[in-house]
Amino acid sequence: MNSTAQDEITEYVERVRAALADLPEATRAELLEDLPEHLAEIRAEDTVTLTDRLGTPEAYAAELRATAAGFVGGFPDPPKRRFEPLQAARADVMKVLGTADVKVGPVLGYPKASDFLRLLRPAWWVLRGYLAAMAVAYFLDAQSTVGLLPRIGNSTLIALVLLAGCIVASIALGRRRFELNQWKRVALYGGTTVLIFFAIGGFFSADSDVRDPGYNDVGYSGGGNPYDYIQDVFVYDNQGRLVPGARLFDQDGQPIQMGNAYCSDESTGEVSHTRSMGYPYCPEAAPFASPAPDATVTADPSEPAEEPKPDPAPTSASPSK
Amino acid sequence: MDTTQLLKGVLDLAVLAALRDGDGYGYDILRRLRAAGLDEVGDASVYGTLRRLFAGGFLNTYVVPSDEGPHRKYYGLNAAGHAELQRSGKVWQGFASTMDDLLRERETA
Repeated sequence: MNSTAQDEITEYVERVRAALADLPEATRAELLEDLPEHLAEIRAEDTVTLTDRLGTPEAYAAELRATAAGFVGGFPDPPKRRFEPLQAARADVMKVLGTADVKVGPVLGYPKASDFLRLLRPAWWVLRGYLAAMAVAYFLDAQSTVGLLPRIGNSTLIALVLLAGCIVASIALGRRRFELNQWKRVALYGGTTVLIFFAIGGFFSADSDVRDPGYNDVGYSGGGNPYDYIQDVFVYDNQGRLVPGARLFDQDGQPIQMGNAYCSDESTGEVSHTRSMGYPYCPEAAPFASPAPDATVTADPSEPAEEPKPDPAPTSASPSK
Repeated sequence: MDTTQLLKGVLDLAVLAALRDGDGYGYDILRRLRAAGLDEVGDASVYGTLRRLFAGGFLNTYVVPSDEGPHRKYYGLNAAGHAELQRSGKVWQGFASTMDDLLRERETA
C-alpha cells in the first residue's frame, strides 16, 4: 500500500472519529476499532476513493452510530450543530469544489485534482517551513523588510540555520498531523492561515520593491512616486531666464522622461501635442516670468549674482555627454 | 417501499445468519451478505451491528494476525448467538409468512 492510500485511510478514520466526538472515549474506540483494516481492505481491492465507495466519513459515522445504538444503552443524538447556515454554506462550497475536483483532474492527468494536490503535500510542508522562517525573521529583525532569506541582524548563517530548522519542523509536523488533538489542529490551521496572509503581503511588497526600487525609499507620506504629479519641467538659468528646449539626463546618460508632451491652450481649451523638442513642453505655461533680455543682474534679486555679465542671447542648454 | 428501510429491522438477524456457516471478519461478513443478495447493506451498518451484537453478548471475537494485510478481527456465534438466531429466525419466518398470506389474499380478493 502506498503512502497516499495510507494517508487517505488515516484521514477518513480521523474524520469519522471527529464525527463521533461526543461519545465516551471507550465507546468510540470500540466503534472505530476495525475501521482502519476495513478501509485497507476496500482500498486494496478498489481504486476509487473511500468517499466515493463509502460516502463521506460523516455519513459513515452517522450510520455506524445508528446501527450500533442500543449497545450500552443507546447513543444520544449528536449535539445540535451550531452555525447551521455556515455548515450549509460549507456543504455547498464543498459540492462545487468536488465537481471542480473531478473536472480538473483529467486535465492534469489524474482521476481527481485532489489526487495530484495530495502528491504536492510534502512540497507544501517545505514551503510552509520557509514561510514560517520568514515570519519569525520579520518579527524578530529590527529592519522589518522582507528579503529572500530569513535574516536576523544581517547574518547569513543564522538565516540558513533558522531556515533549515523551520523546514524540518514543518515536515515533521506535516507527517504527524493526525496525531494532534483537536485544539492543536485548530491552532495549526489558524497559524497556517496567518502564515498565508503574511506570505501574500510579503510577496506583493517584495514584488513592488523589485519593480520600483528607487522610489520606495523616498519618505513621502502618500507613498509611491513623488514625481507622479509632474506634467512639465521648466529650467531657469542663473539669471532667472527660462531655458527653452532643455533636456534632462541622469548620471548614466539616460534621458529622464517626465510629464506629458501635450499642451492645452488656455484661451481655447484645445489640447495639442507639443512642438518643443525638450523641456518645457509648454513654454507659455511657465510658472515664473523671465526677465527682459536686456535685464541686468539686479533685475532678479532672488538670484545671486554669480556671473557679472549676463549673456543676452537665450541659452540653448545642450548636455555634454 | 425501500429495501434499506426493511433491512434496518432485520439486519441483526441477517448478520447472525451470515455467521451461522462459520466465523468471519467484518469485511468478510459484509461480502457474504452482498453475495446473498443484500446489495444495499451499508458497510458501516454491518460494522455497527457487529459491535452491538458483540456488546449484547451474542458473539465472541478474536484477532488473527496477518502477514501481508492488516490484522483481522474475527467474529463468531457463541451459544447465546445461536439461540438468538433460532429465536429471531422463527419470529421472522412467522412474520414473513403472515405477510405472504396477507399479500396473497389481497391478490386473490
